[in-house]
Amino acid sequence: MRYHILAAFYIGLIAGCARGPDVEFNTDIRPILNERCVGCHGGIQRQGDLNLLFRSEATAMAESGKPAIVPGQPGQSELIRRVAHSDPEYRMPQDDAPLASEEVRALRQWIREGAAWEQHWAYVAPERPSVPAVSWPGWPQRDLDFFILARLDAEGLEPSPPAPCPTLVRRVTLDLTGLPPEPEATHAVCNGPLRYEQYVDQLLDSPRYGERWAAMWLDLARYADSKGYEKDIGRTIWRYRDWVVQAFNKDKPFDQFTVEQLAGDLLPNPSEDQLIATAFNRNTMTNTEGGTDDEEFRTAAVVDRVNTTWEVWQGTSFSCVQCHGHPYDPFRHHEYYEFFAFFNNTADRDFDDEYPTLPQFDEADVAEGAALLEELEALERAILRLAEEDAIAKARQLWETQLNRPEVIGQVRNMLQNEVRRVSLVPEAQRDAAQRTLIASVYARISPDSQLIALRERQGDIRRTMGELNPLQTPIMQELPAHQRRRTYVFERGSFLARGEEVTAGTPRALPPLPEDAPRNRLGMAQWLVSDANPLTARVTVNRFWEQLFGTGIVESLEDFGTQGYAPSHLELLDHLAVSLREDCAWSIKCLLRSIVTSSTYQQSSSVTPELKAADPYNRLLARGPRFRLSAEQIRDQALHVSGLLSPAMYGPPVMPPQPDGLWNNPYDGRRWTTSEGDDRYRRALYTYWRRTIPYPSMVTFDSPTREYCVSRRLRTNTPLQALVGLNDPVFVEAAQALARRMASRGEDAPSRLAAGYVLALAHMPNNKARQTLMSLYEEAEAHYREHPADAAALTGAAESAELAALTLAAQAILNLDSFLMKE
Amino acid sequence: MAHECHNYRPITSRRDFLGRMGLGLGGVALASLVAMKPPPGPVARARRIIYLFQSGGPSQFELFDYKPLVNQMHGEELPASVRQGQRLTGMTGFQNSLPLARSHFDFAQHGQSGAWVSELMPHVASIADELCFVRSMHTEAINHDPAITFFLTGSQIAGRPSMGSWLSYGLGSENDNLPAFCVLITKDKSGQPLYSRLWGNGFLPSLHQGVQFRSGADPVLYLNNPEGVSAKVRRRMLTRLRELHELKAQEPGFEEIEARIAQYEMAYRMQTSVPDVMDLSDEPDHVVNMYGPDARNPGTFAANCLLARRLAECGVRFIQLFHQGWDHHGGLPGGIRVQCRETDQPSAALVTDLKQRGMLDDTLVVWGGEFGRTNYCQGRLTDEDYGRDHHPRCFTLWMAGGGVKAGLSYGRTDDFGYNIVQDPVHVHDLQATLLHILGIDHEKLTFKHQGRRYRLTDVHGHVTRALLV
Repeated sequence: MRYHILAAFYIGLIAGCARGPDVEFNTDIRPILNERCVGCHGGIQRQGDLNLLFRSEATAMAESGKPAIVPGQPGQSELIRRVAHSDPEYRMPQDDAPLASEEVRALRQWIREGAAWEQHWAYVAPERPSVPAVSWPGWPQRDLDFFILARLDAEGLEPSPPAPCPTLVRRVTLDLTGLPPEPEATHAVCNGPLRYEQYVDQLLDSPRYGERWAAMWLDLARYADSKGYEKDIGRTIWRYRDWVVQAFNKDKPFDQFTVEQLAGDLLPNPSEDQLIATAFNRNTMTNTEGGTDDEEFRTAAVVDRVNTTWEVWQGTSFSCVQCHGHPYDPFRHHEYYEFFAFFNNTADRDFDDEYPTLPQFDEADVAEGAALLEELEALERAILRLAEEDAIAKARQLWETQLNRPEVIGQVRNMLQNEVRRVSLVPEAQRDAAQRTLIASVYARISPDSQLIALRERQGDIRRTMGELNPLQTPIMQELPAHQRRRTYVFERGSFLARGEEVTAGTPRALPPLPEDAPRNRLGMAQWLVSDANPLTARVTVNRFWEQLFGTGIVESLEDFGTQGYAPSHLELLDHLAVSLREDCAWSIKCLLRSIVTSSTYQQSSSVTPELKAADPYNRLLARGPRFRLSAEQIRDQALHVSGLLSPAMYGPPVMPPQPDGLWNNPYDGRRWTTSEGDDRYRRALYTYWRRTIPYPSMVTFDSPTREYCVSRRLRTNTPLQALVGLNDPVFVEAAQALARRMASRGEDAPSRLAAGYVLALAHMPNNKARQTLMSLYEEAEAHYREHPADAAALTGAAESAELAALTLAAQAILNLDSFLMKE
Repeated sequence: MAHECHNYRPITSRRDFLGRMGLGLGGVALASLVAMKPPPGPVARARRIIYLFQSGGPSQFELFDYKPLVNQMHGEELPASVRQGQRLTGMTGFQNSLPLARSHFDFAQHGQSGAWVSELMPHVASIADELCFVRSMHTEAINHDPAITFFLTGSQIAGRPSMGSWLSYGLGSENDNLPAFCVLITKDKSGQPLYSRLWGNGFLPSLHQGVQFRSGADPVLYLNNPEGVSAKVRRRMLTRLRELHELKAQEPGFEEIEARIAQYEMAYRMQTSVPDVMDLSDEPDHVVNMYGPDARNPGTFAANCLLARRLAECGVRFIQLFHQGWDHHGGLPGGIRVQCRETDQPSAALVTDLKQRGMLDDTLVVWGGEFGRTNYCQGRLTDEDYGRDHHPRCFTLWMAGGGVKAGLSYGRTDDFGYNIVQDPVHVHDLQATLLHILGIDHEKLTFKHQGRRYRLTDVHGHVTRALLV
């Protein structure tokens, strides 16, 4: 309660600061504290019992017996005395250069004015900013353009002219669908009847749209088709991947999208889809290595769920708080475990069978499957009832006295051992209902009672029968029944072996509280994330989509909106987009994307003058359009698309396009990479089997993460291994062969064929010099292959045709052009 | 460099200069992500590391940590006072009895330093005076995956950059034809799987990832031209591709296309330099013979040791070998004999070969696994056969060259070989020491990710100065 009052107090202070004092906490004071002080007096170390992250602690009595800060009284404040001390023995920071005199002066003035702690901007809910005045009112097409132009005005820069139409069409098609445009579409927009806005709507309606954005989301969801860790056995969880594709295509509002993934199982009468959505958090890794402590890795999975939630929805490096208070941001160590408690009561426990799972029976077996499931539940109830009866209870009491023997306690599956031992020490009369059920249910599994044995055998039979139906089992989230609920403790230094105080589920005090009537479970937590009061979710979300389109977020550190993250390049724009997503778009992502891609900002040319390049090398001000390398998925999909090979098939089990032999060398696992046949060779990258420890080579070569944990931002790099993929990976060689055939069918002579290939790839015609260079390449190659017909046959994969071989080589050059690998 | 590398080329042009960033062809736009301001650090004692990683956890009891008391007490129960409640794995955690198991193999002292080495490692024993044994290594993890991930990335949880990636990031490349960080795995072994995260770049830019060299036709993935494309045809095609790129580069604002050009040129050079460096046919017989008969069989540990020397000559910064198969839960005497036959001679030959070429001074060789093994038996203990479970509290590792003290045996375990009684060296300490040897202050080589500055040693690690000359 105390914290809530304080939180309100801070927010009150911000309002109070509107008078505009000369010294502002966020701009003048926090940088000094973060840079020079909190390393020793912050969330990790609290030397001298002083923590400068919280006003309440900074103004409290420290170890010295004096408060560091006495608001209004710099002369009484130990902090000032120590930073200004002439004797280096006493001066702070210790053993380091003293603060600059302006810094000391600023601290003094700030304390004199009351030592107000401002909230970091990201923890204050965004409000709709007014649209600024600009120098060129005719330029903006969307509200967001005003914010961009106002900033350019302030910097003395001008926006770039619009991008050439074919370039813009290629840009927006890649952005919204992950694929390049068909030449016919480019023509229709640039020379024909289709308006750009209409074309954008077509792209948003395309099923390819969901696939493109799912590829982004799956990095966050750490989606993979294997369990991770040492053995990295396969996992069947692709129904979740398909759910994400469908959710984007149906434009499921982002708040629902959030709630279903984090807590779909806790919604009233959850649909099968809503249960599949919860597999978001079953993408955590499972350790099937022999001899591991399942509780250790169950805990690791819960930790991952907490960290992922904070990274994806709150843009906050909450993982820091796992081991200690946050070094810079106002999150306390125990708050980590209060949040952890939301996730700590699901039924999964690092078991090899991935329990709990949602079965999906073949159509013919649906009725039988449902009946079997029902009988299993009835049996479970019968077993529990029986286990609580007298005769068996007597045997159980005897068993409980022997729990200290390894072979006896060894019969209890790992994670329950401690709890069973603990309950057995509670006198039977004092056990609560949950404890009684727990111990009865555990004993029921091993009791030699003949009736129980019969019921267990019946259970086994049903499970076998169900196994024969071989339903698809997708891991999902499921809350534990009352008798199995786990307690949550603070882990000292983050170690699950070092339990501290017990905590209950809650959200950190630095953010608005859970509403009084909200359920204290995952559902309440998920709804809190997408509530109007939450200052972060909408901002973090719009920033993520913005980054995909422009290459850099408004906050460059997508994953860190805290005080150590990058400051936003356009804070008001961020807030405008965040409020607009929630209020104008009702959380529709298509609505958000439409407003961005139809803006003047987005449609600018990405060409850059040397002056502009010098003024804004990283294009943070957006006086030009975006230009950056495509993602790994886009590079594969684009090559297959322009060559006409790409399969339009959607959904289903992952596929195995060609990869070099011998990569899957896992001795524990009989699985082999069996190259998919037919169209499945040419599916979109999103459907490629994703094995965490041995990811598909061209994906990681083009900077995809391994999906072992959540990644917000892929770093784009440039390595010779990428060139080798583009030139020699059989997937890209096949694409070149197919593009060559397509080129041959689209022209009568070499120049027209080469131009056709260029247009297919880049949406615009080559200029004269490029034409000549391609022609030289072609002629040299053709001459060579005329003399080497066998080579021609090998390269084309079929005919001994020097023309086709030369076209194939030209197609390779086109598929490796910088402009092809870039979005321009 | 004093020694010769066939692929060495001097810098002659701006384009070459870009190429000399090795795999680091970041270009202007990436400069902020890639560039690592060299932090002021200690004086470098070595320029490169060859790490002979022995995956699975070699048993120190049969190799380097001589324990007569365990031999005497063979079959007796491990005293609880020694174990002190240390957690066990699920494999022996429910075993009723934990009987001590003696080493099946004899030990002797070797060289002037008098280092104890067992009869399984005669070649290593013969160069004992070149080696620096650390008998007091300890780690935190007790299962393979977390332990090897911890050893090579500084954290048990997947996702951090590997040691070689940190070095590539911190020091860059010394050659323009090969990656700065190369990985060689002994072929046809079984045991714990090796995953690319062990040489992965984690959150560092992917140009710092280790590149696996494989024995066989395609030594680096996609190195070979497709069928029907000769080197000559490829060269001509790449020249035309370069011309197309240069056309674009002439437009204002597209200078970073230089990096794209350099990327394709280096790929082309690798197509020659990688097969060259892997072709051992120009090695004289007496050198190959030194590594043992396996050295003529590509992909064996012996051939990889020889290849490692060649890569070191070409200025590769971090050469990581992996040899699987040390996880002897049962059948230890037979199993470890095979492992030693495969690794003893080539490991010693590598050190000797480097020394003969004057390269041991600036090359550090490291030999060891992810944890040790228990002094007690896992499974049935007989006179001829036994097994040992994982043991994180102590194990042995050796190093050679690179400014570490030769002929030193550092640290001591108790008479049961269960706990360390003197000079413990934690994995983070070893990592700090390795970076120190290469001239890097482990606390200063950091990368900001998710709001935090990360480093190889997390927030731990002290340089073990006693190991250094």
